Amino acid sequence: MAVVAPTETYHAVHDHLKLNRAGLWLFFFSECVLFGLLLSARFFLEGIERGELDQLLGLGITIILLLSSVTAFTAETAIEHDNRKLANWGLIATIALGVLFTGGVAYEWSIAHFHRNEAFGTLFFTMTGIHASHVVSGIGILVLVWVQFLRGRYSSKDHWPLAGAVMYWHFVDVVWVFFYPALYLVK
Amino acid sequence: MQKAMQTGLIVAIILAILTIVEYVFAVNFDHDTIRFIGLSFAAFGKAALIVYYFMHVYRLWRVEEAH
Amino acid sequence: MHALKSVAGAAGLGMIGFYLGLGFVAVLRAMLGYPDAWGGEINIVGGYVLGVIGWLMGIGMWGTWSREWFGLKTYQRQAPGWQRYFTFNTDHKVIGIQYLVTFVVVFLLAGTIALGMRLELASSGMQFISHSQYNGAMGLHGILMIAVAVASVIGGTGNYAVPLMIGADDMAFPRLNALTFWLIPPVAVALLATPFLGGIETGWTAYPPLSTTTNSSQILFDLAIITFGLTSILGGLNFLITIIFMRAPGMTWGRLPIFVWSMFVTSWLALLYTQGFAVALLMIMLDRVAGMAFFNAEAGGDPLLYQHVFWFYSHPAVYIMVIPGFGIALEVISHFSRKPLFAYRYAVGAFLGILGLSGVVWAHHMFTSGMPNYLHGPFLVATELISIPTGLVFLSALGTIWMGKLWLQTPMLFAMAVIFNFACGGVTGIFLADVPTDIHLHDTYFVVAHFHYTIVGGEIFALFAGIYYWFPKMTGRMYNETLAKLHFWWMFIGFNLTFFTMHLPGVKGMNRRVADFPESLDNLNMLVSISGWLLGLSFLVFIYNMINAWIRGPVAESNPWRARTLEWQVSSPPPHENFPEQPVIKGHPYDYGVPGSVHGVFPNAIASAPAAGTAGGGQ
Repeated sequence: MAVVAPTETYHAVHDHLKLNRAGLWLFFFSECVLFGLLLSARFFLEGIERGELDQLLGLGITIILLLSSVTAFTAETAIEHDNRKLANWGLIATIALGVLFTGGVAYEWSIAHFHRNEAFGTLFFTMTGIHASHVVSGIGILVLVWVQFLRGRYSSKDHWPLAGAVMYWHFVDVVWVFFYPALYLVK
Repeated sequence: MQKAMQTGLIVAIILAILTIVEYVFAVNFDHDTIRFIGLSFAAFGKAALIVYYFMHVYRLWRVEEAH
Repeated sequence: MHALKSVAGAAGLGMIGFYLGLGFVAVLRAMLGYPDAWGGEINIVGGYVLGVIGWLMGIGMWGTWSREWFGLKTYQRQAPGWQRYFTFNTDHKVIGIQYLVTFVVVFLLAGTIALGMRLELASSGMQFISHSQYNGAMGLHGILMIAVAVASVIGGTGNYAVPLMIGADDMAFPRLNALTFWLIPPVAVALLATPFLGGIETGWTAYPPLSTTTNSSQILFDLAIITFGLTSILGGLNFLITIIFMRAPGMTWGRLPIFVWSMFVTSWLALLYTQGFAVALLMIMLDRVAGMAFFNAEAGGDPLLYQHVFWFYSHPAVYIMVIPGFGIALEVISHFSRKPLFAYRYAVGAFLGILGLSGVVWAHHMFTSGMPNYLHGPFLVATELISIPTGLVFLSALGTIWMGKLWLQTPMLFAMAVIFNFACGGVTGIFLADVPTDIHLHDTYFVVAHFHYTIVGGEIFALFAGIYYWFPKMTGRMYNETLAKLHFWWMFIGFNLTFFTMHLPGVKGMNRRVADFPESLDNLNMLVSISGWLLGLSFLVFIYNMINAWIRGPVAESNPWRARTLEWQVSSPPPHENFPEQPVIKGHPYDYGVPGSVHGVFPNAIASAPAAGTAGGGQ
């Protein structure tokens, strides 16, 4: 069997943006199962029963997270159009709102009327905790991206790390869209 | 730039209104099943808006136009 | 020595990370006013997390990848020759061999543990080890073999063959690929450390309430398996993107080799369902470490929740294991029957059908668990529906063999054994899917025999088919065919003797997971133990043959099987970029004997067109 002799070095060209984006979406699918199972566990153990929660605080942190999604969107749209000033403010606002949200959850935990060794407490602390850990990791990623942004790395042509971080941030928001009613509003 | 931001802000306002409506509805409505169904609808609607307009899911299958 | 420096340095960093994590958590606990700052399982969690990070950074993730996050220049150390297997190498061919060698070693280790267990089970009463040691051995054997079954075919042969078969130069995310392999050593260390904390007494399923109250080895088990799940998810993601976006021009979905299809389906399963295992173990960890009440019935929790979440992953997991096995078997059968793969579309449809059905059958593991009775019927029906797509796989295999010109080389023997063994495993599965028979057979050795028939008979035999099939491609050398055939017959006979006999004590009610049994079953168990040792010893032939061939076997041709798929159209072993130039696909991979058909061609290379043409036209 004749073997093709390596005539010259050959390098395949790939659209890395496409690969990265699709890969990130697949990661989100996988995470959806994680959060979906936690949500199912919530209804499996407790039905729609819930413990006493501060409704206004819940609504407040939900609005904060939604706002942070808007600022993240602003940052991405701005860098797509090379508006560096707006992108900078978008990133800073997103990080600040994320920290505020985390603080809100921490405050919620400290004033909770239930304990973690009862069923609702278990579910509440686990679900908000795992969601908050995603928020915290999102903040970390955004900070790294922001530092690179300040060093002038991104432009409208090449800003995948920023776009990816913003996508992750939106995904964390989507999760909260489901967790918030399931924990606060359903009963 | 302006057009893209405009779309985003309109979607954000819809999301905010949906969230408030969701909240008022849940606090004031007293039928468990209907509340559950209403909340589910609202949640899926909000998620769809975010996935489409903020996360740009269509970029997976649409060729990117130059900005 | 680059290899030694790389691994030892990484291990050192890992150890530093481990102790830093222990200390960090201890300081936190002291600050929060806990009386036993050093004593908690949470210290192990902190230590493990930092330890894994230290290990990864040390092995080369820092230089190759993480520096980028901070805007620094990345670099990759190029180690020469065999030493590259001990570095953070991003070449899928290197990673595939890393996986294969690692998991063959783990397989032999876990098999040795099984031989120890069979020694204890050779006769009733307790001879060598205590009940708790037996439990630990059983748990370790179980989880190590699960790891082998999940990762050896996917990570090993999949990594090696898939990019070659679809005409890609590498996986879509090469660094992610290397990361998935280098997460394995911490998993292995954590699992092998469990005996020192008392052993995994729960078995690999880790059912609560035992798992929330047992010794601290459970926490290592949880951490290790969550990490392992992460490698499985990331690996699946990588395969999906590779197969979707990096196929060579002309490689349409209808021309995809069947092994690649099986990897595609399996990757979806791994991507979506593996989270279930992680969530289940996370819940156990939270119950143990944070005093939560998921499985504490007194406080409103429910141990059944664990079984639901756990089997939501662990039933699809058996398809994660066996579908690539089917893929290898069909692939090999077609090449060695010198016939087009019969009912190719149905086989693909069967894989997709299994993918669709696998998510709605999990509760057939729970017929005796006390879940609501109305769930029995739907899960019984859904489970038996799976036999339809599985039957289509058999249809494809048998239709290909029928009237074929069989070339009974070792890979073909193993592939045909897959079909034989899995038929037996499938038939016994029906008794376990039916509620009335399952209530009698649940948790007996009948179940043990059944799943060994499906997983060992279905997948591990396919793994060996794959190893023998791709060995010349991977190493550039040929193994000894006589020894390989000896290995096959020895293993096949030993396997069937062991596990066919094992059904009988099961039907008579012998409990699994227990070190002792009634005296009346002595004879049967002695027979199982002797055949088990027979099976175990067969691998000595395999080890000798592989090592000997790799070091001084005769040099292999580039296409010793005269197969048509792309990986055989390049040199053995393939060059770093896989192909000298972009291959173009003109036809179906299995059209043996179809006049004028070609599969892959290299349009620009001088010597290529006739090469690909001959490969394609061969009878």
